[in-house]
Amino acid sequence: MSLIVWLRSPVFSVCLTVAAYAVALGLHRRWRWIPPIVAACLPIIALLLLVREPYAEYNRGGDLLTWWLGPATVALAVPIYRNGQRLRRSLPRLLGIVFAGAVVGMTTAGLTAWLLGAPTSVVMSVVPKSVTTPIAIEVCRELGGIPQITIAMVILAGVLGATFGPMVLRLAGVRDDRAIGVAVGSSSHGIGTASLVRRSEMQAAVSSWAMATSGVVTSLLAALLALFLR
Amino acid sequence: MNTVRGIAIVAGLFLLGTLLHRAGVPIPGGVLGLLLFYGALTAGLVKLQWVESAANLLLRHMVLLFVPLTVGLMEMGHVLSRQAFALTASLVVSFLAVLLTTGLLGRWLLPFAEEAEAEPCAEHDRAEAGR
Repeated sequence: MSLIVWLRSPVFSVCLTVAAYAVALGLHRRWRWIPPIVAACLPIIALLLLVREPYAEYNRGGDLLTWWLGPATVALAVPIYRNGQRLRRSLPRLLGIVFAGAVVGMTTAGLTAWLLGAPTSVVMSVVPKSVTTPIAIEVCRELGGIPQITIAMVILAGVLGATFGPMVLRLAGVRDDRAIGVAVGSSSHGIGTASLVRRSEMQAAVSSWAMATSGVVTSLLAALLALFLR
Repeated sequence: MNTVRGIAIVAGLFLLGTLLHRAGVPIPGGVLGLLLFYGALTAGLVKLQWVESAANLLLRHMVLLFVPLTVGLMEMGHVLSRQAFALTASLVVSFLAVLLTTGLLGRWLLPFAEEAEAEPCAEHDRAEAGR
């Protein structure tokens, strides 16, 4: 019985999560196609189901980690600042492109789900799906969505961009490194950006600037939307 | 030491952002903190080297931070299966729309003439990494 008590302590949740994440990183290093988030979550879910532990119990410790998404959002100022300095000359145009991307992303995601009959909470969960997870979660909460659905959509958008983004852009005749960077960063945030690092430094720099900036723009647009909905 | 100082700055700005949000600013606390942080960097109040290692640490291991929320998908099976089609369609349509809008706008608006700025920056970055 004492084992169960120990399993229920928040510290155990944190240790379990960190351990699963470390193993997932190792797997990802060996087999690049395994997304770390999937490899980290599946064993935890399996264990919780196996010992019949409710999610809420695990998440008392999980919340300690989730809190750090806030500081991680703040830290996104660093890629905006650092890469913004080098992109000075194209910055106004890049900002316009990111703004267009944010508007298109929010409206197409929300409208498609709404037209296919999804309830409001689901529609609001997909609206921030193009932006980096910590900002997407904040936006989802502001709009009254379901954070878990947002996370799943955000991760899938990232995987789509990392896998097919550069190929689709090549088919569309987009060859400029900055154009590829801004497109992948706007549509597939950090996961897409990480996939560009090995391709070109310029693409990765523009992409990480675009990912962070598009998160800010989306949250500002969502704040307007929330005022309008109220 | 630098990392600890950086974490303290970043976490402090997040708390400040959260307070402002609670006080009625309609922007999420994290994003408010980000804007304050960006302002402080631009104004020179915070030096990039104070915060760089902390920011890199948080950004590199961001995936760890959203594992607990993602595990919550285990209780969302019914919503996901009922809405599977709407969610998949929304994902693919919106992904392609954003990728192509931004990519094609970029192709149109970012002429090749300006590409020269890529080179000296790459050098600068390597110098920075060596420091």
